[in-house]
Amino acid sequence: MGKTNKNKTEDLNTVPFKTRVRPYLIVAPSLIITIGIMIPFVMAIWFSLTNYSFKLPSHKFIGLKNWVEVLSSDAFWNALKVSLLYGVIATVVEMALGMGVAILLNNLNNRLSKILRVLLVFPLMVAPVTATIVWQLMLNSSVGIVEKLLNVFGVYNFPWASSPSTALMTVVLIDVWVNTAFIILLVLAGLQSLPKSPFESAKIDGGSAWFNFINLTLPMLKPSLYIALLFRLMAALQEYAVIFALTKGGPGDSLMSLTLTAYQTGFRFQKFGFALPYILILWLVVNVSAKQIVKRQRAAQKQAAGLEE
Amino acid sequence: MNNGKKRLGYAAQNVLLIVYAVFALFPLIWMLIISLKSDAQVFTTTFVFTPTLANYKEVLLRSDYTSYMIDSLIISGGAVVVSVLVGVPAAYALARYNFHRKEDLAFQILSFKFAPEILVVLPLFMIYQKLGLYDTYLGLIWVYQLISMPLLIWVVRGYFEDISVEIEYAAQVDGYTWYQIFFKMLVPLIKPGLVSAALLAFIFAWNSFTFPLILAGRDIQPITVAITKYLGTDTAHYGQLAVAATVSAVPAMIFALCIQKHLVRGLSFGAVKG
Amino acid sequence: MARIQLENVKKSFGRVQALNGIDIDVKDKEFFVLFGPAGAGKTTILNCIAGISLPEEGVIRFNDEIVNLVDPAHRNVAMVFENYALYPQMTVYDNMAAALRSNLYKTDEATIKEKVHAAARMMKMENLLERLPSQLSNGQKQRVAMGRALVRTPNVFLMDEPLAHLDAKLRNAMRTELKEMQANLGSTCIYVTHDFMEAMALGDRIAIINQGEIVQIGSGDEIYYMPCNEFVAQLMGDPQINIIPGRIKEEKGNCEFCFEAGGQKIAVPMPEDRELFEKIRRTGLQNADMGLRPQNVKYSFAPEKGYFRTTVYSYESIGNKSVIQADCGDYQLRMIAPNGLKIQIDQDIYVQLEVDHSMFFDQQTKEYVSRYDEASIKAFAAEQEVR
Repeated sequence: MGKTNKNKTEDLNTVPFKTRVRPYLIVAPSLIITIGIMIPFVMAIWFSLTNYSFKLPSHKFIGLKNWVEVLSSDAFWNALKVSLLYGVIATVVEMALGMGVAILLNNLNNRLSKILRVLLVFPLMVAPVTATIVWQLMLNSSVGIVEKLLNVFGVYNFPWASSPSTALMTVVLIDVWVNTAFIILLVLAGLQSLPKSPFESAKIDGGSAWFNFINLTLPMLKPSLYIALLFRLMAALQEYAVIFALTKGGPGDSLMSLTLTAYQTGFRFQKFGFALPYILILWLVVNVSAKQIVKRQRAAQKQAAGLEE
Repeated sequence: MNNGKKRLGYAAQNVLLIVYAVFALFPLIWMLIISLKSDAQVFTTTFVFTPTLANYKEVLLRSDYTSYMIDSLIISGGAVVVSVLVGVPAAYALARYNFHRKEDLAFQILSFKFAPEILVVLPLFMIYQKLGLYDTYLGLIWVYQLISMPLLIWVVRGYFEDISVEIEYAAQVDGYTWYQIFFKMLVPLIKPGLVSAALLAFIFAWNSFTFPLILAGRDIQPITVAITKYLGTDTAHYGQLAVAATVSAVPAMIFALCIQKHLVRGLSFGAVKG
Repeated sequence: MARIQLENVKKSFGRVQALNGIDIDVKDKEFFVLFGPAGAGKTTILNCIAGISLPEEGVIRFNDEIVNLVDPAHRNVAMVFENYALYPQMTVYDNMAAALRSNLYKTDEATIKEKVHAAARMMKMENLLERLPSQLSNGQKQRVAMGRALVRTPNVFLMDEPLAHLDAKLRNAMRTELKEMQANLGSTCIYVTHDFMEAMALGDRIAIINQGEIVQIGSGDEIYYMPCNEFVAQLMGDPQINIIPGRIKEEKGNCEFCFEAGGQKIAVPMPEDRELFEKIRRTGLQNADMGLRPQNVKYSFAPEKGYFRTTVYSYESIGNKSVIQADCGDYQLRMIAPNGLKIQIDQDIYVQLEVDHSMFFDQQTKEYVSRYDEASIKAFAAEQEVR
């Protein structure tokens, strides 16, 4: 027993090195694996400043030439327009439709709704490429049932993906078919976890259903809605598979989104350095909007927590 | 009066729901129908036809489709196994330990989910060719970590956080070492969540398209890439196309049914606890 | 069983100093109670003893051996957690057997069975052994948590509010049983509570903790009768002690206590107590707070000699008796009364203070100065400690 000198006491109170580094050691493998993959991401910024091409034996630094050329080309502005249109329209339609269906499912709460809660998830599990096939089987003018249905109304050979004016609508339709279920699931979960007490007191106050929806349900649902929006918009802005499988960007350049243009420039025309600005800009758009949505989601969460009390 | 109005509203809601259900589910049914039609009946019939398994036989037995499926299975399964082995301990550390820059690290991992796949893939294409990882299982399993790892870490982290830390303390006091606590006390508790996160990660990996399209394609072809070949041909055998689609979609749907309860939490990366 | 010593233990969480130099010396086989308000740092002390948290400064000894760097598994302590911390995937039986099945404390299954059943019998929960924690009520969970600790023969039992979630009847029964059990097992026990009755009933000694510091250590009676400051005095006792601000006036060797009650200036003579008066004289105490337990305030509904008039502020039952609060302007006087009196709020009530049961605090520092019969109380407390 006895007196410990100061030095010794200090040793007694430091967490052993082994214990201290344990968390880093545990996280490290996952980070190495993922960051290993992300190295190319940093390289991408460098390559966007070179004339790298699979056709050339070597590459050299050419400054902002790629960027200037990309930004001054019509192809870029068209691609940006297509990406934004696709992203925004698909997301808006999915959000509106998904919310509507979720509210119906929640309101009805009958056997139909209970069965559908399970079944409606199916399209979400279908790969985008497969979904494209599913819809080709539906829309195709020779075997598609939609064509037969339209014939009844006197519409023949509706162009769908083969006309520039309806191509965007068609890919959005497929995206909506796949992804609306995601919104339904999230909103339904949000609706079912709403606290009961504010609604009971609202019942006593005698507000209309609509009033309650706007003033209680919606604000408390907002955090879930923002999460849904975040995941959907991010994915829709980067959508690639459906367009690729359906028309490879055509007809013409009507579906040449940023991702598709980058793919084509990089692989078909083999102008690798020239392809990168397209996606780096897309990445910027995605990041900025993600940050905005996350910020709003946090604020909404605080507000919703206030309402529950 | 009021009662009648109410009943009408109720009926209207049911009708709207059914309309959406038809939109969501009929395409799948139609796919099944076409897959069972003979080449001749595809064009001439709608619902009344003689079902045949000829298309299934053609696709599954007489083409390389089964080998594509095996490729998909190896890559997706391998990716999930790696993610589980590496990601579960990481999720635990992120849930429990309080270390320097923890939240930054966690967010970094999540942000991989939002990185445009094609941005990663273009330079990676080059590196993979140099490293000899192009068109290999290992290369694909590695790049698939961008799909499965963030999902697994974030979802499982949430399940770990749901366990009260005192349970670990109690186990420590009861004489268990940290790895015994991890495997005996914690893993059984998160098992349902872990299994569902792993299955969901598998579905995502199974459905992935961009990575295998660019980083593989000759020796190794998962279904999603292979299926585009059926799309391209003009003399399309629609029945076979439908079979290809059906076979690619069914495993994911079966998995989804198994993990229903955990689906919302998984899809939202733990942000919405359904 | 062990003697547990903490020496200048400091622990902080971020900027919050949870423990600020804790010194405790728990004797072997002692039942030691940590008592204090919520957030005082009681649980943190237990965690440091168990090894769950490592203090930034200070030394912890078990039987004179420094255990700072010994991990929780090897300290051989049994802990009852406030939120039970039962293993959700295991039955009650397996929960209780868990420690005895670990590599460290390995015991054969026959002995485990015997011990678990003995503990279950003690906790009156033999019928629960096959259930899962999710099928138990909070009170039952708490008993399982206790049972899990009791199957062991540890250096020390650490119990964090182990009776808090039991219903009143069971709590009283358990209190008695716990004390008996501890005496039989001959074990050291450190027990955290915020219930003053529990602290008094169980503790050989009580340590009062506030804001990460030890305010006072002593036997229950010592702390009850001689609290070291007003904070402790108010903490110990329900209903709370009355604190009456006033002045001590000394004239020709006689003292009187002058205070205000609802605007009236009142002076009550202080009965002679040589030691007390000497202490007052020595410390020059003039502005003093008088501390007087509610049972030492007498009341009447008609004017009586030596009583002063105030009005009733509230009358509330606390079970088998009631508390009257009388309005005295800046403060209220609490006093014990029987149940079922016909009392109206704001009606007149006449009050007398039994000054010869009072204690005195410095009005400035709120520290204890002295009280009536201090010597005999000290002697009584010392005698108890020997026992």
